[in-house]
Amino acid sequence: MPGYRLRFPQDEGSHPDFRVEWWYITGWLEEAGRPLGFQVTFFRARPELKHDNPSTFTPRQIMIAHAALSDPARGRLVHAQRAARAGFDLAGAEQERMRVWIDDWRLQRSGVSYQAQIAAPDFSFDLAFDITQPPIKQGQDGYSRKGPAPESAAYYYSIPHLKVNGTLTRGGMQRGVEGTAWMDHEWTSQYLEKDATGWDWIGINLDGGGALMAFRVRDKQGGPLWAGGALRQADGRLKVFSPEEVRFIPRREWKSARTGTNYPVSFLVRTGDREFAIEPLFDDQELDARASAGTIYWEGAVLALIGGRRAGQGYLELTGYWQRLEL
Amino acid sequence: MAISQRFLLFNALVAGPLREHPGRAALAIVAIALGVALGVAVHLVNAGAAGEFELAARRLAGEADLVVRGPRAGFDESLYPRIMRLPQVEAANPAVEAEVPLAGRDASLKIIGFDPLRAARVQPGLLPERTGLMSGLFDADAVLLSPAAAGWLGVGPGGRLDLQVGTGTVTVKVIGLLPEGAYRQRVGVMDIAAAQWRLARLGRLNRVDLRLKPGTDVEAFRRELQATLPPGVYAVTPETEAQRGASLSRAYRLNLDMLALIALFTGAFLVFSSQVLALLRRRTQFALLRVMGVTRGRLAVLLITEGAVIGVLGAALGVIAGYALAVYAVSLVGADLGAGYFRGVETSLRVDPQAFAVFFTLGVLFAALGAAAPAWEAAHRAPGRALHARDEEEGLGRLRTAWWGVAAVAAGMAVALLPAINGLPIAGYLAIALILLGVVLLMPRLAAFFLDRVPLPAPVPAAVAVAQLKATPRQTAIGAAAIVISFSLMVSMLIMVSSFRASLDTWLERMLPADLYLRTARTGETGFLTPEVQARIAATPGVARVEFLRSQNLLLQPDRPPVILLARPIEAAAADSRLPLDAPPLVPRPDEPPPVWISEVAGDLYGWRRGDRVRLPIGAAPRLYTVAGVWRDYARQSGAIVINRELYIKLTADRLANDAALWLVPGIGTTDAARALRDRTGADQNIEIATTREIRAASLRIFDRTFAVTYALEFAAVLIGLLGIGVSFSAQALARRREFGVLRHIGMSRREIGSMLGCGGALTAGLGVISGLVTGWGVSLILIHVVNRQSFRWSMELTMPWLPLAGLAALIIAAAAATAAWSGRAAMRDDVIRAVREDW
Amino acid sequence: MLNVHDLCKSYGGARSRDVLRGVSLDVARGEYVAIVGESGVGKSTLLNLIAGLDTPDRGTIVLDGVELTALDDTARTLLRRSRMGFVFQAVHLLPHLTAAQNVALPLALNGTTPVAGARRVNEMLLAVGLAQAANAYPRELSGGEMQRIAIARALVHRPPLLLADEPTGNLDADSAAQVMRLMREQVKREGGAGILVTHSAAAAAGADRVLTLTADGLRPQAAQTNSDFRFA
Repeated sequence: MPGYRLRFPQDEGSHPDFRVEWWYITGWLEEAGRPLGFQVTFFRARPELKHDNPSTFTPRQIMIAHAALSDPARGRLVHAQRAARAGFDLAGAEQERMRVWIDDWRLQRSGVSYQAQIAAPDFSFDLAFDITQPPIKQGQDGYSRKGPAPESAAYYYSIPHLKVNGTLTRGGMQRGVEGTAWMDHEWTSQYLEKDATGWDWIGINLDGGGALMAFRVRDKQGGPLWAGGALRQADGRLKVFSPEEVRFIPRREWKSARTGTNYPVSFLVRTGDREFAIEPLFDDQELDARASAGTIYWEGAVLALIGGRRAGQGYLELTGYWQRLEL
Repeated sequence: MAISQRFLLFNALVAGPLREHPGRAALAIVAIALGVALGVAVHLVNAGAAGEFELAARRLAGEADLVVRGPRAGFDESLYPRIMRLPQVEAANPAVEAEVPLAGRDASLKIIGFDPLRAARVQPGLLPERTGLMSGLFDADAVLLSPAAAGWLGVGPGGRLDLQVGTGTVTVKVIGLLPEGAYRQRVGVMDIAAAQWRLARLGRLNRVDLRLKPGTDVEAFRRELQATLPPGVYAVTPETEAQRGASLSRAYRLNLDMLALIALFTGAFLVFSSQVLALLRRRTQFALLRVMGVTRGRLAVLLITEGAVIGVLGAALGVIAGYALAVYAVSLVGADLGAGYFRGVETSLRVDPQAFAVFFTLGVLFAALGAAAPAWEAAHRAPGRALHARDEEEGLGRLRTAWWGVAAVAAGMAVALLPAINGLPIAGYLAIALILLGVVLLMPRLAAFFLDRVPLPAPVPAAVAVAQLKATPRQTAIGAAAIVISFSLMVSMLIMVSSFRASLDTWLERMLPADLYLRTARTGETGFLTPEVQARIAATPGVARVEFLRSQNLLLQPDRPPVILLARPIEAAAADSRLPLDAPPLVPRPDEPPPVWISEVAGDLYGWRRGDRVRLPIGAAPRLYTVAGVWRDYARQSGAIVINRELYIKLTADRLANDAALWLVPGIGTTDAARALRDRTGADQNIEIATTREIRAASLRIFDRTFAVTYALEFAAVLIGLLGIGVSFSAQALARRREFGVLRHIGMSRREIGSMLGCGGALTAGLGVISGLVTGWGVSLILIHVVNRQSFRWSMELTMPWLPLAGLAALIIAAAAATAAWSGRAAMRDDVIRAVREDW
Repeated sequence: MLNVHDLCKSYGGARSRDVLRGVSLDVARGEYVAIVGESGVGKSTLLNLIAGLDTPDRGTIVLDGVELTALDDTARTLLRRSRMGFVFQAVHLLPHLTAAQNVALPLALNGTTPVAGARRVNEMLLAVGLAQAANAYPRELSGGEMQRIAIARALVHRPPLLLADEPTGNLDADSAAQVMRLMREQVKREGGAGILVTHSAAAAAGADRVLTLTADGLRPQAAQTNSDFRFA
């Protein structure tokens, strides 16, 4: 449905008719002068049910949430995950406005900012994300294709340059933090094609107010099956790239000792006529989400460099390297 | 030279005698081995099954700190979000749990419906390994099986399973297996939504497993939570949860352990009797050694060592044999040893070094103790006298025991009056042990008393035998005591079991007044008759009257198994026509709470009596009821409560039924009626129709199977007793070889000497059997009124199985006579003529 | 009355040896014969063969016209029961029977009625001078008394043949003399024959005839030595 026009703020809410949906905030915080990556994601999935089971527990919607901190001082991710079926008001996703939650984990719109509350055994945070820029409708006015088949696509918008402030608690110590973040919201019923195994994705808040998003979908051989991206200049000009204009060139691999998986943690990403070197804040940002989403992927804070000089900061996501990604 | 001296003494006093009479030593070793083997086997099997039971409960609770648990009917699911929102709760997993009958099989499978997503944080070990299975589980027809269940059912991934719910069949797909080792028992796992729907449990939960926030005081929170829970729903720790299942079988397991110990005790007594006689025969040797300067203590230690050597050999053999026996028993009758406590439990017997060590030590200790008394006697005899003494009986004169015997029997009777300790009949067993000990100590006096009254018979061999026994009451007593021990135990068990069986039979007759019984499934919890099916049954031609019964359960105490609630038509005034009440029924006045009738077991467990008012969580709100009567119930070991079904329906709106009792129109055959009922209900394979006679036969069959192991253990004890007779007779025969030589000179034929010995054996055994009968009767009273009552809380009427008792007595006397005659023949096989010329 | 002819007996086994070789012996009614010889020469074996407790390899034993060697064990036992009495070196009273019961045993075995038996037992106890000890158990008696009871038991049923194997071996000189005298007296009184096996010349002294058992058979003892002992 490429013709659909996104509406705000209604489309910030849930779209339960679609099979998969996620709200995804990544960003860099500064804690006591040191950089720290973080991400918080809420997924909504609608299992294909054969029966109209009258039970209140019937899993019509499943909510999954991940939260992770990328602390270079620690050298690996600290993360937590939750999964629950929607129901009993214990977990769910509201329509028409952004409010998603599992138990006491929540992400919601409040005025001109989003708020995320996460309490995990190893850390907890309570962050507010002030909206400083309008959404970027990705793809064709918010309709982002993910493969050669036209139906393989998602509705997708991003909000870059969210201004973060709040508190972060680790080791029983609560500290004020601030930083910048990026939010993605996507919903779809058919995301990956049969031939696709996973994707590589970056979302970079460029210094000076620009924003870059680029992704590629890989086939079974690891080559690009599809690609896309957009660059919005600080002045608001938006350049949407065709699949041919986006290239991900791996520069360095890192192998996880835990899972034996190889991840290309450093890339050269070419969008149109510009080329960004993507370097991780540190290598080990692997995330084991088997207990909730059923997969293992790499999700980490990265720097974007042009000609060896810092151009921005953001997040890199590498999926389908462990096993083919099943949504 | 110390080593060589030790060697010489060891040879002279320990190794030599064992080598000299390897047969007797072998018998003693076999007896100890048998006792130890039984102990090890029973312990291994029981510990295995009970351990698995507890392990299974723990695995199910996973990392939960608390389990909120309700009765079979469960509790409203709204409790789950309420608990979940409590600030102390870190995570919670709701579950329905049911024993589900398998259509077309006479078996049930435990099915747990939980939330696999929540399980990740509460019971991660129970999650399927392959992630695809997790989403597959959201299918309402999907079930995961534990490897044990898959193996048992012969169904693998992709297979189908027919479950019985109501009178219908629900077919589910096996989509995969639980990880190997996650849960060793048979279980099926479904998604909670699927289970609620498919197992007819919509809106209900049976349990919620909770993990609390770190730092929460679990006990304080448990109490706080408990106060907010609906009646009949309990918050318990996984430990309590694990013990509850095993607690039901605790008394049964103790009883088996006790029987095994008794076998060991009998074996020890055998060592005692064989040692007593053997040492007496060798007393001049000891006197010689004492004259030569061996100290008293040294001598005693060496002689006890002889017993210990027998103990070591026997115990070692017994541990090996016991393990083999356990493996065999489990493969033959299953981990529950046929008693039905651990139905469906997969046991893996483990080599348990600690248990082995305990039973090995017990075996050695018992054997050494058996040797200790005679060793002490031998060591404390004045050597001068012993060198010249001519008579064994004199040596036994020191065993002056009658007063101790009286004291022990009296103490036993007093102890029998004590209440159960920690729910176990420890005092009862202590009483039995004391009484047996007392009787053994009294045996010399009893033997003398009894033999004084036996006239000398005319046939010479018999007369010589009787005269011999009359002159040696103490030796006779030792021989007879081995019989008393084993026979009295056999008698008591026989009386107890036959009393139980007769009472059960009478009870079944009372409980089954109708012509036909229809039930939805023999096992499991999800079979039921809907009101429509009930109406169809009632309207079946040929059915004159029908009564429906609903079976549910109530959790009254978190650490006890639930009490069965039976809702059936019953009127307070005529309750005794429906239930075997122990007193006339009480009819509550209209202003009093409505009546319920409790089983004896329930009364014992919860301390209720006729006329009491009790608060029961039936229906939405708990309310008071009047205990209008106590009835005997052999079927439900965790207790049962009967309530009028109309009242039950009013309280719970539960119109389902599990069983129907049918009275037929006169002239209608049960077969025709059964066929008509099957046609009408249209649930051919999911209902079971049985005549009263069939149910009785089946119940008695189950009863017999339950006691099969008891019989086997008893048989072993008797076998050891008979071995004891053999040992003591052959020892005596050896000691009397010279005497036989004289008799041969005087002109007694071998046959006459044989019959003399047989006569002596029969008389000794007769003495043992008579004492054993009386003792056994006394012990059976303790078993019936103390042990059984405290273990299982079943009361019963004493029924004497005269015919089997007489047969058994005759068998034992005959066996004793034969053994004695045989041992005489064996003793005469050597040249007894020469024996006459041996000097001592 | 007793005719033993050409009796041979050897014991098998690893150390096979001939014990008796061609032994012949005739004993008349009323005769009291002593057989002397060194240890191991086969005195006891000879006695066992005569008693029918053992069977010879060769030769015959005829007692009152009945050939013992042709009978089976049961028949020999019955014969022994009625027609022989035994006295042993060691005291072999049945320890758990009283003196009177011990004496009564052969009578009982031969089917004498208890009443008749009791009278005969009393008589024998009187004869051996132990009437007062009738109800005593063997352990309450001295060695000599026990052996006297044994003699009473051996003769109570009036056996034609008394066999005695070193009956005084364990007794002091006085008791020995008393027992020997009593035995001879009683054999003579009851009119039976007696065979006494001993290695003691003193014990043999009371016999009508003394025979020496050697490896080559029985032979009569020189009269001279005999007479020496007669007055001893």
